[in-house]
Amino acid sequence: MGMILASRVQLKLLSAAMVALITCVMPTFARVGDIFNSRQSAAGPQDSRKATSQADTKIVTDGTGRSVAIPIHVQRVVSLAPNLTETVYALGLEDKLVGDTTYCDTPAAAKEKPHIGAPLTPSLEAIVALHPDLVLATAINRWETVEAITKLGIPVYTVEPHTVRDMLQSISSLADVMGAHEQGVALVAKLQGTLDNLQTGLRDKPLVHVLFVVWEDPLITIGQNTFIADALRWSGAESVIISKQDWPQISMEEVLRLEPDYIVLTSNHSGTDDTDQVRDLRARGVWNQIEAVKLGRIVVVGEEVTRPAPGLVEVIVQLAHGLHPEIFGTEQKHSRLENRGWESDAGRLVACVR
Amino acid sequence: MRPLTPAKILSICAALAAVLFVEVVVSLQIGAYHMGARDIVVTLYQGALGHWDAMPGEFKSVIFGLRLPRIALGILVGAALSTAGAGFQALLRNPLADPYVLGVSSGAALGTIISLIVTPHAPGAMQGAAFVGAFATVAVVYFLGRRGGQLDSATLLLAGIVAASFLSAVIMFLMTTISGRDLRGMAFWLMGDLQSDPRIDLRWLYFLLIVAIGCIFTTSSDLNLMLTGEQEARHLGVNVNRVKLVVYICASLLTGLAVSVSGAIGYVGLLVPHVMRMLFGTDYRLLIPTSAIGGAIAIVLADTLARTVVAPSELPVGAMTALAGAPVFIYLMRRRMR
Repeated sequence: MGMILASRVQLKLLSAAMVALITCVMPTFARVGDIFNSRQSAAGPQDSRKATSQADTKIVTDGTGRSVAIPIHVQRVVSLAPNLTETVYALGLEDKLVGDTTYCDTPAAAKEKPHIGAPLTPSLEAIVALHPDLVLATAINRWETVEAITKLGIPVYTVEPHTVRDMLQSISSLADVMGAHEQGVALVAKLQGTLDNLQTGLRDKPLVHVLFVVWEDPLITIGQNTFIADALRWSGAESVIISKQDWPQISMEEVLRLEPDYIVLTSNHSGTDDTDQVRDLRARGVWNQIEAVKLGRIVVVGEEVTRPAPGLVEVIVQLAHGLHPEIFGTEQKHSRLENRGWESDAGRLVACVR
Repeated sequence: MRPLTPAKILSICAALAAVLFVEVVVSLQIGAYHMGARDIVVTLYQGALGHWDAMPGEFKSVIFGLRLPRIALGILVGAALSTAGAGFQALLRNPLADPYVLGVSSGAALGTIISLIVTPHAPGAMQGAAFVGAFATVAVVYFLGRRGGQLDSATLLLAGIVAASFLSAVIMFLMTTISGRDLRGMAFWLMGDLQSDPRIDLRWLYFLLIVAIGCIFTTSSDLNLMLTGEQEARHLGVNVNRVKLVVYICASLLTGLAVSVSGAIGYVGLLVPHVMRMLFGTDYRLLIPTSAIGGAIAIVLADTLARTVVAPSELPVGAMTALAGAPVFIYLMRRRMR
């Protein structure tokens, strides 16, 4: 014990030595902080040099209100979300798309592009490695990701569509940013035309009350501020659940009380047939108590409904057909399915069991 | 007991530091962006000399914008968490104590979240709030853990677990009030994430780290004596109350520091001091510095794996430490029991 106590003096010296040692090593890493700070100030001359070599940049305001300096002639684009990838393909600009996420499966060709990771967990290095001159982001990405990429000197253009109209607006702004104004105008006009036709058909019809099932167990539905709620309105329907939360969890009791006219399911991509999905639902005890399930009023829509992209319009049309069989014949529905062109098979309305 | 000389402490620490250095060099080379070893060395050299314009912009982004900051943050967080863990284990004389188990990490996380809601952009607010949260949690847990004036180890751990789950519930409640986009970032951060920007100059954090570790280190011979019991240590002339206060404050500071920049990363504070005990013995004069360096090694390794195993996506580093930490911990526990 005496030895230990005696060594306390040595200990003081040793801790002083340790602090001195680490302080020597510290600047190596601390430089990083320096560089971060100096980056901001150094960004000025560096960017201007880059700007002169790459012709010109223009300042645009993106969907989140940020000012972004983007090249006038965008050549290499990385998309951070499936709906952005889908929009780029729909505009016919896939040649400029040099990378997308592992979730980008629409259209099928998007799977072949180099991937930079999932929308929430992209690899910043993989993005840098693709030498993009513009990165596209949307609401499902994290702020941190957008900030980090911006800090690396790559402009990030963000769109945040919350409604179907926003989605159409975002298509034209993405087209403008990528230097394809005409394609944007054409695509938006086409989609707007489809929606207008639909509204003519649905005019004066009362809204159908539906339960939109995001997840079956626990039961999760949509809130009033999601763009899915807006898409439902376009297809002449309305969610029975009114909630300010985006993805509220609700009880079956509430569903029994509210008596929805229809149940809307999203098709899962696990390969099971959609009729199986409906059968599974009906096999569950409580679900069978719901009037809509008893009557077989279950509509399964494609996953496109969860993506604010051009394919959403198609899903709205199909949903309207499923929910308003008295207005739209099934014939029209099938003919539409064949005319889809670039869209994948995911946006189909498959089962309308009755 | 063989005498523990400063030379021995320094040489062991130097050996561990060498391991860390090799690991950093290897980690610098691994990533989705391909860079040869020569490019990395040249870029580092130019960076050290301040020749920023001489290197390609992408090399600069990858090395100085992405890889080095992450490694620097990993070293900071690892050192802070495992030293805090070693400190708590010494104070509570309980091998299961660590910032995560005692609820201190959750307290720091709650503090950080509140600061993000109240003042989202004030520099240093996150760190300050995390420290306040950590320290308040320690104080409450300490108070609840006493029985008849004495600190009861089992009661204390129970109090810590209760505090952790209560604070997590409060965090969940607050998170439902935050809008969707911030929520996602927050959920990631709670799992432990080294990618987010600390929003403060790293040098400040390193300065605090070294001061706090240094303070705990100065109490290490007292901690050795306290291993035999507080009463006994008091008889041997240790100012037990002072030592406890110093270690509590410093360990809370370290936890707050780590949590505010990287979220709640589990297992490091628990595991690393135990591994160091098995390697180098229970003497706190050796355990404190080796835990600090060992923690840095563990986090840099975990983060390197986190950004490579599911490439091009990334795992939160907290998921990686739990994934690797839990089996290692069980193995160590079984081996000890045999």
